[in-house]
Amino acid sequence: MVEQVEKRIWERIFKWGGSAGGIAVILTVVVAAMATLDRGPYVLVNTVVIGGMLALVSMGLALVFGVMNIPMFAHGEYFMIGTLTAYYVFTPINTYITANPDSVLAVLGPLITIVAAIIAGAIMGVASEVFVFSQLRKRSRENWVMNSFLLTVGLSVVLINAHQLFFGADFKGITRYWAGPPYSVMDVFISRDRAMSFILAVIVVVVFWFFMTYTRTGRAIRAVSQDENGALMVGIGIKGILMLTMSLSCALAAIAGASLLFMYPSYPAVGLEPLYMAWFVVILAGLGNVLGAVMGAFMVALLKVLTVEYIGSGWDFVVPSALIIVVLIFKPSGIFGSEVRGVLDK
Amino acid sequence: MDLANGDAMLLEVKNLNAGYGFLQILRDVSLTVDTGEYVCLVGPNGAGKSTTLKTIAGLVAPMSGEILFKGEPIDGLPGNQVARKGIAFVSEEMNLFVNMTVQENLAMGAYTIRDKKLQKDRLEFVYDLFPRLDERRSQLAGTMSGGERKMLAIGRGLMSNPTLLLVDEPSFGLAPLLTESVFQSLDTLIKRGVTIMLVEQNVTKTLAVTDRGYVLENGRIELSGKSSDLACDAHVRKVFLGV
Repeated sequence: MVEQVEKRIWERIFKWGGSAGGIAVILTVVVAAMATLDRGPYVLVNTVVIGGMLALVSMGLALVFGVMNIPMFAHGEYFMIGTLTAYYVFTPINTYITANPDSVLAVLGPLITIVAAIIAGAIMGVASEVFVFSQLRKRSRENWVMNSFLLTVGLSVVLINAHQLFFGADFKGITRYWAGPPYSVMDVFISRDRAMSFILAVIVVVVFWFFMTYTRTGRAIRAVSQDENGALMVGIGIKGILMLTMSLSCALAAIAGASLLFMYPSYPAVGLEPLYMAWFVVILAGLGNVLGAVMGAFMVALLKVLTVEYIGSGWDFVVPSALIIVVLIFKPSGIFGSEVRGVLDK
Repeated sequence: MDLANGDAMLLEVKNLNAGYGFLQILRDVSLTVDTGEYVCLVGPNGAGKSTTLKTIAGLVAPMSGEILFKGEPIDGLPGNQVARKGIAFVSEEMNLFVNMTVQENLAMGAYTIRDKKLQKDRLEFVYDLFPRLDERRSQLAGTMSGGERKMLAIGRGLMSNPTLLLVDEPSFGLAPLLTESVFQSLDTLIKRGVTIMLVEQNVTKTLAVTDRGYVLENGRIELSGKSSDLACDAHVRKVFLGV
């Protein structure tokens, strides 16, 4: 009996190892290990920190595409809103911390900042859904993917310029969130901010996964992404779910923006790089595949780190783009397959 | 309220006009279904049978006319609110959640039920009705055969403990043996007190099992009456059975 179960588990592992997703994951791990041995552990550390945050942005992108069929090109702007909120919330806190280094705010300050960014992102998400996407949905559902895509590009331009108009085009950054000496892991010094942003990413991904898999509302979101009419038939209020999806995904991007403020100072077009990176991830993993996006984020992060390391920092967009072209030619549904089928045919 | 509507029909459709965009399909359709009845709607392809069910279920907005369920108007309500009132719709294309397991699909069927115990009872009821689904609890709905999917779709509809079950083409695309078992499960449901409105292509079989029927042609109700009478009707025999 036990042997049989064991055999079945092995069979499943072999089957998974033979699939495109399995091969890609194994290859990633091997390449990461080799690069780490070759150049030192900091390669791994950088990959993990960038990958964690990229996972948050890409998950939101995959979610919006999977549930709402919107190819979101304004997603970077929610990242930008995250950085902006974090800047204006953390700067006064930071002044206070500098004056009173022993206050509890030294610990709570960054957390308050992140929570503020989550709220700002969620509110912006709801606003975009109410004032932009639901308006389009009400008027026409023909050519939805194309029309909503054009709307997101417009939204992106508007938000970038609104930032410039109201907050100026200069760099608004902070030096650090957490004071103190860097941690030392595997002989690499990791700044506290980097370590914290990775921990935060892990927590958010796990909570999000739990929410989508086990809660009633999370299941309803998945149900809407798989069959909208079916969801209606079992009594799910679609409008509420769409609004929630949008605010969730925008909040995810805002978390990433806020916790990376020490690396990416806020300026109008700060969201473009994360946006493109997230699109690489989502295309690589398969459109609309939320968990695949998490794996894909680490793959793209590794690719980016290796490109900078071995080829040169000017190439960090070129190599991932080239890879995307290859993936689209040989496996158009992405390496983890796609949870959404025929969305574009609707 | 209940007393006032004591003698009202469970479902009353009055002069319903509906369609898609500018294309009108249903013209002045009126029909009634009483509690506990097994009613069928038959008609040639494109007559508007599915549209009738979709309009009642709230997936197609009516152009005019009234739909009363337990005496309350439900026309124009979105599908999710219709479902909450106790109407379950099993569509022809089934609309299953293909990337969820059988168990998850059924759990989604009970989305409107908050009571954990009632949810469990419903799940047992469905597994009891379709032992096949019980065996496949953790299989993804998208990887199941046509017959199993049909069972799952009906099972999901039953999870919400509906007063009225609308079933669209349960035999579509099924092997004769499976069709038989789907019909048998509908029979079992009727015996357990569920009201069913059935749309079917298989006219002979349908008229043999149901109590009452409506014949829909070109979006209009042409005939109605007891199923046994309809089966003998010269017009029905000529149009559907070719004799």
